[in-house]
Amino acid sequence: MLVVDRSRFPSDVLSTHFVWPHGASYLNRLGVLDQVRAVTPAHTEVTVVNNGIALRGGVPEELLRNQFRLLHDDDSGITTEYFSVRRHVLDKILVDNAVQAGVEFREGYTVKELLRDEDGTVIGIKGRDGTVEHAQVVIGADGRNSFVARALGVEKFDERPRCTFAYWSYFSGIPDAEAQIHRRGRLGMAMASTNHGQTMVLTWGPSEWAADFRADVEGNFHRALGLISEEAADTVARARREERFYGTLDQAAYLRQLHGPGWVLVGDAESFKDQCTALGITHALRDAELAAEAVGGWLAGETDRDTAMAGYEAKRRSQTAAAYYDYVCTLAEMKPLRHDELQLFAILRGNQTEIDRFIATHVDVAPVSEFFDPSNVFLLNDTAKESSLDHSAFADFEATYREYQRNPFVRVEAEATR
Amino acid sequence: MTGTLADEREDGEVIATLIAAADAADTDPTTAAKAVAVAAREVSDMMRNWASHIPWEDLEDLDTLPADEVVRFFGEEYPAIRADLEPMWEPATTAAPAIDPDEDYALDKNAYDFFRPVGANLLDRTEEFHGWVEARRRTETWQYSRVLEAAPGGVATITNDLSKPARGINFNSQDYLSFNAHPEIREAAVRAMRDFGPHSAGSPMVLGNTRISDELEVALGEMVGLDHVTLFSNGWSAGFGTVTGLVRQEDHILIDRLAHSCLQSGARAATRNITRYTHLDVEAVRTHLARIRAVDTHNGIMVITDGLFSVDADWPDVVALQEICHAYDATLLVDVAHDLGSMGPGGTGVLGMQDMLGKVDLVMGAFSKTFASNGGFVAAKSPAVKQYIKMFAGSHFFSNALSPMQTAVVLKAAQIIRTDEGEALRGRLFSAIHALRDELTTRGLTCMGSPSPIVPVLIGNEKLARTVNRLLFDRGVLAFMVEFPVTPTGASRFRLQVQAAHEPEQARDAARIIDEALRDAKEHLSSAFGNAF
Repeated sequence: MLVVDRSRFPSDVLSTHFVWPHGASYLNRLGVLDQVRAVTPAHTEVTVVNNGIALRGGVPEELLRNQFRLLHDDDSGITTEYFSVRRHVLDKILVDNAVQAGVEFREGYTVKELLRDEDGTVIGIKGRDGTVEHAQVVIGADGRNSFVARALGVEKFDERPRCTFAYWSYFSGIPDAEAQIHRRGRLGMAMASTNHGQTMVLTWGPSEWAADFRADVEGNFHRALGLISEEAADTVARARREERFYGTLDQAAYLRQLHGPGWVLVGDAESFKDQCTALGITHALRDAELAAEAVGGWLAGETDRDTAMAGYEAKRRSQTAAAYYDYVCTLAEMKPLRHDELQLFAILRGNQTEIDRFIATHVDVAPVSEFFDPSNVFLLNDTAKESSLDHSAFADFEATYREYQRNPFVRVEAEATR
Repeated sequence: MTGTLADEREDGEVIATLIAAADAADTDPTTAAKAVAVAAREVSDMMRNWASHIPWEDLEDLDTLPADEVVRFFGEEYPAIRADLEPMWEPATTAAPAIDPDEDYALDKNAYDFFRPVGANLLDRTEEFHGWVEARRRTETWQYSRVLEAAPGGVATITNDLSKPARGINFNSQDYLSFNAHPEIREAAVRAMRDFGPHSAGSPMVLGNTRISDELEVALGEMVGLDHVTLFSNGWSAGFGTVTGLVRQEDHILIDRLAHSCLQSGARAATRNITRYTHLDVEAVRTHLARIRAVDTHNGIMVITDGLFSVDADWPDVVALQEICHAYDATLLVDVAHDLGSMGPGGTGVLGMQDMLGKVDLVMGAFSKTFASNGGFVAAKSPAVKQYIKMFAGSHFFSNALSPMQTAVVLKAAQIIRTDEGEALRGRLFSAIHALRDELTTRGLTCMGSPSPIVPVLIGNEKLARTVNRLLFDRGVLAFMVEFPVTPTGASRFRLQVQAAHEPEQARDAARIIDEALRDAKEHLSSAFGNAF
């Protein structure tokens, strides 16, 4: 097996670099979890705050096991820990692990061309340096702007242009803590402890506000935090920024055909979803294991290629996968939270089992259709422990909802032209 | 570069500088090349590895090229690079095709989004939901409230709620043995009408029942093997009334998460001590019962399941459930609304198939699927249970009894079900069921569950299901699309209800039409998802 990468490692790449418990479990199954954990703080509980209504919980082990049994028929190596690991840390560990496993690895290697036979089957690669390598299968694990997909002209399906913009940086001086994810109106923010004693602080909003936000990234970054959570904004204001701001509004979701003669796509190359649930790495690791099972079975002669690839496709294009794709794409529109959504968050409070299941659903461990089952949501409603009177989010809801529709970053432009 | 990492410019700003410099290449290519190279070197490692389609190395090396190469680069190669760079900093929505706002709204929302509306005025706050209904009606994606223009057989003539007519192979009607058109059934209705008039004129607790009601209770008792039967004026109230009649606030309910709405609603009305167990999972029931009995030995536990599940077409291991219930002093309630009469030996449904006639604690059912009428019943082993439910099930005591005609129709249906004719009708029904399932499966569609009068075709995504629904209306198949609150979000499907009047060939035609509509809808929505679990 030959692995080529355009970068030289350690190397960084645009990423929320959040690894949810299923992602951490995949790393454990690869045998690198301990290495990652040695340099990366991890937690099991996360706090999700919507217009001030806080839910704290984690992904239950039982649901993780169900998910792994369903996808892989094997639930070994499960962990309920999550973490935020910088890509210059994680990717290097993964590369070294692959080399130790016997993979031939070439870094700083740019693929210039895919080699194809007269039937169009992909049979290898040609590098920018002119070298040629032949292969039974070429796997495009090359991200959103996948060279493999572009070279083959693999078209995108079901594109969802309504997505978020996101800006983030790394701060020192914030103590290691459980991750927080906040939403208020059309804005979101997350704080997660990561490597080097730093905390990643990220804010996002609807991409149609991005142009105004970009006019003053630093000013608007702090303004957004203040609008979402004063407490979080104060914490960040007291901290020291250690790197530049990074940003993207290149977040529109899509699906691509998963495989063809001589090629397979995995991770963002096969399906990209908005950053707002921070699942890029976790899903890439899932795809890697699914594709490895399929390709491994085929190359070992246990099954024919078509059956193997159909198995990979069935798992990646299932009803459950479709429901989650819709879930994220709807979330990524960043519409202000509706009355019914906020009430759901309020009635979940005090029901830890269902908070945990909601979090597991939110990060694609439990199927959307199990939480949003009529018998569940109506029962939650009828057994609520808290009411809307307990939360300020419901006071003058309609006026606040209208206010949330307004782009708060527009004023920067007005001030600039004054 | 000087300064700290924190002083480095954000990539969007750097790339804007790069583009601006390159755009000035016409006037001074050498200066432009230098500025582009400087900017390219300033781009973060993160962005370079993300935007792997941009030839960063070529941009960085630009100031090392001879002048004529620089001119060639800006003229020949740069335009494509700029076309790749720019969209990364433009909201994708600006380049997206325009969307019909009605279609977008209609396809995007779910009924659940309107379950907790805002506002103190109960009437005013229904407007938002109504706006969504109107958007779905305008886009012909509202599957509800269609009306029949004539008796519904294997084929039906209907109009939708926009008065648009359609005629097609009918899988929308619940009439599994096609009794609606049966001469003896119709004659029974006419006779009862003549003898008793159209009205029962009272609660069954007062004077709403007739001699026919008594006969029907006996006939139903014989069918399910439980002698003490209580009639309800509809199936929903039979389920709701049985649960609320027997279960009190401190009691416990274990209910299959996919059990029928009337049972879920009854459970929620009766107690807050409800555990929804994994669909069909007998071991989960055992675990929950053990957990409850470990801390509570003095309150009751009701375990609730459907026989044939009405949107999943599967059924539980009733033998095992009843055994476990006995072991933990719990009471089992099985809803046989969809299977009694239509399947199993002699039409005895799931209970007959599992040799459980007379062995289940409580059996309830509805007449509206196979018995050609409104109404429902609950059957128990003891007269005490019967009298208790009659007194404390509000939907029995405080509701007008079944009409004499309805009672007579159900009685006649119950009689035919147990004859050779009933067996022959079930044979015809299952020929059509197998033809339909085989053709759908051969075409790669997912038929859920097992052969039964309900054939659920999984679609999943609501947008897709609503679009297929719109196409089918004009293509000669009347199929009911079910979504929330019938199914969970993201698990929509077509629930095809087969009748004895369906010919196998009709069923195969319908399968072909559904398959084509699904393909067309997928193309319309650019959906690459499959329709399997």
